[in-house]
Amino acid sequence: MELTLALSALKLVGYGLATIGPGLGIGIACYGCCMASARQPELAGRLFTNFIIGAALAEALALIGFVLAFIV
Amino acid sequence: MNPLDLFAENVPHLQHSFDPAIVFGTSSFGMTQYIFWMIICFLITIAIVLGVSKRLTLVPNNKFVNMVEYGYEFVRKDMGEGAIGHGYKKHIPFLATLFFFILISNFVGLIPGCKTPTGTISVTWALAIISFVYFNYWGVKAHGGWGYIKSIAPSGLPGPMVPVIWFFEFVSMVLRALTLAVRLYGNMFAGHMVLGVFALAISIFIGCAVQDANFIFALPPIGFMVFLIAMYALEVLVAFLQAYVFTILSAVYISLATSSH
Repeated sequence: MELTLALSALKLVGYGLATIGPGLGIGIACYGCCMASARQPELAGRLFTNFIIGAALAEALALIGFVLAFIV
Repeated sequence: MNPLDLFAENVPHLQHSFDPAIVFGTSSFGMTQYIFWMIICFLITIAIVLGVSKRLTLVPNNKFVNMVEYGYEFVRKDMGEGAIGHGYKKHIPFLATLFFFILISNFVGLIPGCKTPTGTISVTWALAIISFVYFNYWGVKAHGGWGYIKSIAPSGLPGPMVPVIWFFEFVSMVLRALTLAVRLYGNMFAGHMVLGVFALAISIFIGCAVQDANFIFALPPIGFMVFLIAMYALEVLVAFLQAYVFTILSAVYISLATSSH
């Protein structure tokens, strides 16, 4: 009983840890996107698309953590 | 009565309302509430697109038609031309279908009492697998069967590295389908769960305040209400953004599969 509880608690902790990296990554990507659009506003549309793609790829890691919390 | 105890009692009911409850038929041959709403979303999408395509004019004179036309133009310019580049035209019908269906599904879920079909993992898996099969099909068509398998690993690698990189690229390719499905599901499900929790908390706190004639319990719902409205506004943004992300990632995967490295 206690082992099961500890295991399910550890899954949540593991998911929390898995979100740190993507969180930082998306933050940095957003920083770069904002800086670049401030310097060259006419490219903002294209930069935003690239930002979304990069954020989606970084987010994949968090999503893998989310899935692993369910299946392991 | 303590509202927090009442809240803890009621949360399982809220969670239960997200289960795919069967509307009619049995569990093996029937229809769950999500499939029911999915069919309604299909009908809405078909009605909008067919209705608008009949009223297309060279000079726009109808605001609604113009709006849908703008959405199609958005898919064509921003996603098609921006992400795929050369030879994007034959992929636009597929991308536009995905975009409009996911957009309408996400928005239907925001109407109180309706369920979003994308809030269940089965529907998003189906959408992700359609996208996966589609870009692999076009990849095979562009490179030929063996050429496509070889093109998964970038060319110009030293010989012994090729199997290793090929293996990692292959895993990342399979993960594309998984992340497409789980991203859409996770965003929609979590958003609706947050909205549900706050709506439940407001109703329980106000109920307790009325029952006990204790105005202390009436104070937190004011904050909850402000937060709920803010979250609802955020969910409208997320509903659009997730449709956009799903479509543009499909476009990027198509361009990766069809372009020659």
